[in-house]
Amino acid sequence: MTRTERPWLLTLVAGVITAFFLLPLYWMIATSLKKPDQVLVSPPQWIPSPFTGESYSRALDKPMLGQALLNSVVISLGVVALTLLLAVPLTYAVARIRMRGSGAMVLSLLVAQLLPSIVLAAPLFIVLRQVELTNTLIGLVIADTTLTLPFAVIVLRPLVRAMPVEVEEAALVDGCGLPGVLWRVVLPIMRPGLIAIGGFSFLLGWGEFVFGITLNSDPKVQPVTVLLNTFVGQTGTDWGPLMAVATLVSIPVVCVFAMLQRYIVGGLTAGSVKS
Amino acid sequence: MSLQVKAPEPLKAVEKTQTVRRGRSLSARRTGAGYVMSAPALLFLGATMLFPLAYNFWTSVHDVAIGDLITGDWQFSGADNYDSVVSEGAFWHAMRISLVFTAGSLFFQFTIGFALALLFAKTFPLAGLFRSLMLVAWLLPPIVSGTLFRWMLDADAGAYNELLRLVGLDSLAHNWLTDPSTALPGVIAANIWVGVPFNMLLLLVGLQSIDPTLYEAAEIDGAGPWQRLRHITVPMMKPVSAAVLLLGLIYTFKVFDLVFVLTGGGPVDSTRVLPLYVYEVAFKLFQLGRGAAAGALLLVIPLIVAIVYVRRLRKEGAAS
Repeated sequence: MTRTERPWLLTLVAGVITAFFLLPLYWMIATSLKKPDQVLVSPPQWIPSPFTGESYSRALDKPMLGQALLNSVVISLGVVALTLLLAVPLTYAVARIRMRGSGAMVLSLLVAQLLPSIVLAAPLFIVLRQVELTNTLIGLVIADTTLTLPFAVIVLRPLVRAMPVEVEEAALVDGCGLPGVLWRVVLPIMRPGLIAIGGFSFLLGWGEFVFGITLNSDPKVQPVTVLLNTFVGQTGTDWGPLMAVATLVSIPVVCVFAMLQRYIVGGLTAGSVKS
Repeated sequence: MSLQVKAPEPLKAVEKTQTVRRGRSLSARRTGAGYVMSAPALLFLGATMLFPLAYNFWTSVHDVAIGDLITGDWQFSGADNYDSVVSEGAFWHAMRISLVFTAGSLFFQFTIGFALALLFAKTFPLAGLFRSLMLVAWLLPPIVSGTLFRWMLDADAGAYNELLRLVGLDSLAHNWLTDPSTALPGVIAANIWVGVPFNMLLLLVGLQSIDPTLYEAAEIDGAGPWQRLRHITVPMMKPVSAAVLLLGLIYTFKVFDLVFVLTGGGPVDSTRVLPLYVYEVAFKLFQLGRGAAAGALLLVIPLIVAIVYVRRLRKEGAAS
């Protein structure tokens, strides 16, 4: 916007604000590394001393945590795969091919994003029960994909539209069939969007809770968010292990975001403001 | 009706139509391919969104409890479920809580987000790093953020209460979430924390797209920083701001998990937002018909907002 005269002063201001803003995250990690008898002392220890992994070993001793983390990994990867498989062809079709009803399709995808999961949960439970997919990981993957798919198409569509038709036509003339054009021309151009959607779908699958708690009653397939909520209820004041679990759940989020930051930020802003 | 098996088909299906229809003209072939390519996703959304929505409506006009699900003994009951929900005090209570929750969250998310966007629009060392760190707060699973704020707002060892004591506001330090008069502000605070980075990010994109020559010209004309903000930034940011607020309203109105883990709706219903009310009727009381009616009513506000939003997008599209 404007040139700044004393940039380090701004860095200081922004640094203080960021530090205050991130206090809950710092507090989560600090609590998880304290000795359990130091967690509740008042006034609190701002820096854990001594550092200890005791809360982590106690958290990992809890039954089901390993299983729940694994479930969430499987669900998240499943959501990524299913979202991309369904979104790519649909996006190409609505962006590129003259079809009746593609305008209405895009409009309904926009509207689909407004639906509260909780309204969908009860009837979705009945649908999934018909095909015997309640209490399964696949059922949860399907449910979570209802959240990612509309967003994916909305983010990807402008990318395909921005691509010059001539490139595709040239490839068609060169004897590439439509599948070849899709595979060799369209997919590479969509790559940044696909990475953004992949990352976004992973994060959404990882953090999803409403379907996790309504479509599933089997502890063996519960996602880690549901287990964390159970821990909150059971061990209301056992904050050390609770924060250890919260930290473990946050680590993949930070990793995925750190790796794909550029794509995710670009994709989100494109999908939300423009479309 | 196995949805899972359908998913990997699109590319194969396209190949097939290609060989069969080789003789046709390019565009006709492509239209056919377009339908084939749309089919898997549309079937999926049909089965997992459209049908459930229709089913929800169907349930809402029948008298169904959990037992009737198995026997299939459904009595058509017209608008009875809607009547019963709307005449219940708990519904209006939840609606009021939802409106306060949404308005409070939006106001602070937007103003704090706007202020931060103004700050981060300037060039200074480490700006990118700080901005990214803040975004992590927004990407965390809501269950994690909720758990964090339960701990931050805890009575004795909660970090925020400790900060209050440090600055001499001892009287404010207490367990925010178990006191009916402060639970809702506590929940709103947590939701503001979650939403600020998103607001900042979108508003920042808006700020960066303002033509810098406007500011230069204003400066030459002698406009101070305040006047530049009022007469250039604010009017130029109107369309982006409207979009951000509308999106915020839609997202905030349906927040469920954050509140669920923070308070579960209590104490004494002081944080029972509408989505929690719907959950309770359908999944705790198992009054499926009434739950479906409450769900349909929950859709009304986002739907009105959606219509406004889509119209806005249309107008923008026509203008550009």
